[in-house]
Amino acid sequence: MSNFAVGLFREPQSALAAAGTLKGAGFATPELMSPVPLEGVEEVLGEKKSVIKRFTLFGALIGGISGFVLAAGTSVLFVHPTGGRPIITIPPYLIITYELLILFGILFTVLGFFISARLPAIRDRVYVPEAAVDQFAVSVACDNHEHFKRAESILREAGAEQVRDMAEDD
Amino acid sequence: MPTETNDLQYADVHRDVIRSIVETGPQYYIALGTAFGVTLLCFFFPWSYQLYYGIGAAGMNHPGVWGTYLASFIFWIGLSHSGTLLSCVLHLTHSTWRKAMYRSAEAMTLFSLMVAATFVMVHVGRPWFIHWALPYPNQMEMWPNFRSPLLFDVMAIGTYITGSSIFIYMGSIPDFAAVRDRTTGWRNNMYALLSMGWRGTDREWHRLHWAYTFLAVLIIPLAVSVHSIVSWDFAMSIVPALHQTIFAPYFVVGAIYSGTAGIVTVMFVLRKYMDFGQYITKVHFDNLGKLLLVLSLIWTYINGIELFTGWFSGASSEHEALRYKLFGYYAPLYWEMIAFCAVAPLLCISSRFRTSFVPMLILSIAINIGMYTERFLIVGTSLSRQYLPDAWGVYVPSLVEISIIVGSLALFVTLFLVFVKIVPSVSMYEVKETMDAPKPEPVASPEGSPA
Repeated sequence: MSNFAVGLFREPQSALAAAGTLKGAGFATPELMSPVPLEGVEEVLGEKKSVIKRFTLFGALIGGISGFVLAAGTSVLFVHPTGGRPIITIPPYLIITYELLILFGILFTVLGFFISARLPAIRDRVYVPEAAVDQFAVSVACDNHEHFKRAESILREAGAEQVRDMAEDD
Repeated sequence: MPTETNDLQYADVHRDVIRSIVETGPQYYIALGTAFGVTLLCFFFPWSYQLYYGIGAAGMNHPGVWGTYLASFIFWIGLSHSGTLLSCVLHLTHSTWRKAMYRSAEAMTLFSLMVAATFVMVHVGRPWFIHWALPYPNQMEMWPNFRSPLLFDVMAIGTYITGSSIFIYMGSIPDFAAVRDRTTGWRNNMYALLSMGWRGTDREWHRLHWAYTFLAVLIIPLAVSVHSIVSWDFAMSIVPALHQTIFAPYFVVGAIYSGTAGIVTVMFVLRKYMDFGQYITKVHFDNLGKLLLVLSLIWTYINGIELFTGWFSGASSEHEALRYKLFGYYAPLYWEMIAFCAVAPLLCISSRFRTSFVPMLILSIAINIGMYTERFLIVGTSLSRQYLPDAWGVYVPSLVEISIIVGSLALFVTLFLVFVKIVPSVSMYEVKETMDAPKPEPVASPEGSPA
C-alpha cells in the first residue's frame, strides 16, 4: 500500500507550480491530473519520451512485408498464368502491401499507446473525479506522515483548495 | 477565433454533454422507433424478399448488371470520407473549429462505411458466400485474386473501418472517463470498461496526443486510397466512359464533397435537436460553407475534364457514351446533378448564406441528392451504352431496390441515434481546450472582518 498527498487546484498554473516545487523539494516525480492536456508540463517535470513511434514504425514494416508476402506468396502457391503476365505482378501487389502497411501501423500504434500509457488499469489507482471536470490535481507519493505533512504544506502554499490523503494498492 | 462558447465554463460543457447522453425525452424514442421501423420495413424486409426469390427481384439485368446497389455503395463510401479525413487534416493543422464537431463527423464516417459494406452483401445476391472475398485458401487451395480491384476494395475498406473505429474510440477515451464518473449502474460499468481506467494524468495526455497524431497521419493517405480504389472498380474495366485515368481524383473529390455536405446536415440536426447551439455555431457553418464552395469548383472542373477527354479521344464509343449522358434517357438526371452540385453551391460565395442554418441544410441535402445521382449515372449510363448497339439497354431500378435505398438511410439514422446516446457527440475535453482556463473564485471575506 502506498500513500499519496493529492492537492486540488482551480488553476492549471498553480498546479504546475506546485508540481515543480514538489519535484525540487526531493519528492518522487509528481503526477498531474487534468480535464485537458496542460501546456508547460514538460518544462516543469522534464521532457517526456514515448515509444509509440517505434511501435508505429515496426507495425508498418510488419504490415508492409506481410501484405506483399500474402499477395506474392499466394500467387506462387497456386500458379495461375494470365495473358503472359508475370506471376508476381508488382503494381497491384503494392496496393495490398500499402493497405496492410497502414492497417498494421494503426494496430501497433494503439498497442503502443496502451502499453506506454499503462492502460487498461488493472488495479485501483489514485484518482480525483473533479480532475475530469474543472479542477487540476497534483499527486505525490509520501513514505510517511512527515512526508505527507511537508507535501501538504507545499501544495497549500501553491494554492491547493484541498489536500487529500489517498492510498493505492502496490 | 471568436466562438459562442466564450461565456461557458468547463463545468457547463461537462453538464451539457453528459445531459445529452443520460437525459432522454420522448421525442428521441419516437425518432429511434420510427427510424428502426423504417429500417425493418424498407431495408430488411425487401432484402429478405430478394434473398428468398433471388437477385431477379432487383431490376438489374443485361446490360445493366450493376445498378443502384453499387451506386449506393459508392455513395455511402463517399459520404464516409469527410468525417475522419477532415478530422485528421484539421487535427494536424491545429484548427480549433474542428473540436466541437469532429466526433459526430467521425461517427458519420463509421456508420456510412457500415451501410456501404451492407450494400455489397445486398448486391452479391448470395451474402452467405461473402467470406470468399477474404484472403484464405478455399477447399481447392486457391486464394483470392489479389490483382482484382474488388480485392483491393476488401483490403482498403476493411482497413478504413478498422482505422476509423479506432480513431473515434481513441479520441473518446477521456470523455468516456468523464461520463463514467457521472453515471451509475450498467452505464457506469460500460463506461468504466470503455475508459479503461483513464485518469487524465500528464503521462496519459502525452501518449494520447502522440498516438492520435500518428493515427491521423496514417488515416489521411488511407482515406485517399479507399476512394481511389473504389474508382478503379470501374476505371479498370474497358467500358466507354468508365475507362478513364481521371476517375481516382474524381471519386476522391466527390467523396469529400458529399461527406462535407453530410457533415453540414448532421451538424444542423445536432444543433437543433440535441441542444448544442452553444458549441456548433455559425463559425462551423461558415467554414464548412467555404469548404463546400471550393470542393464544388474542383468537382465541376473535373466533370468538365471528364467530358473533354471523352470528346478529345475521338473514339465513337466514347462520343456515344457522352451524347447519351448529356442528351439521352438519363439526361434529366445529369442536369439535375449539375444544378445541385455545380450551380447551387455557388450560393456559398455569400457569407450571409454560409452563416444561415436552414439554407445551408437545404443546400447540403441538395448536394447529396446530386451526388447520389452522380453515382447512379456513373453506373447506369455507362453500362447502357457499350460498344455494340445490340448490347444497349436501359436500366430502371425495381421497387425492391428503391425501397432498400430508402431503408439504408433509415439504417444510418438508427445507428446514429444509438451512437449519440452512448458516445459524447461533442468532445468535452477538446471544447474545453478552446476555452479560457478556469480562474480561481474570488474569496468572500467573512462577515464583519476586514477584506
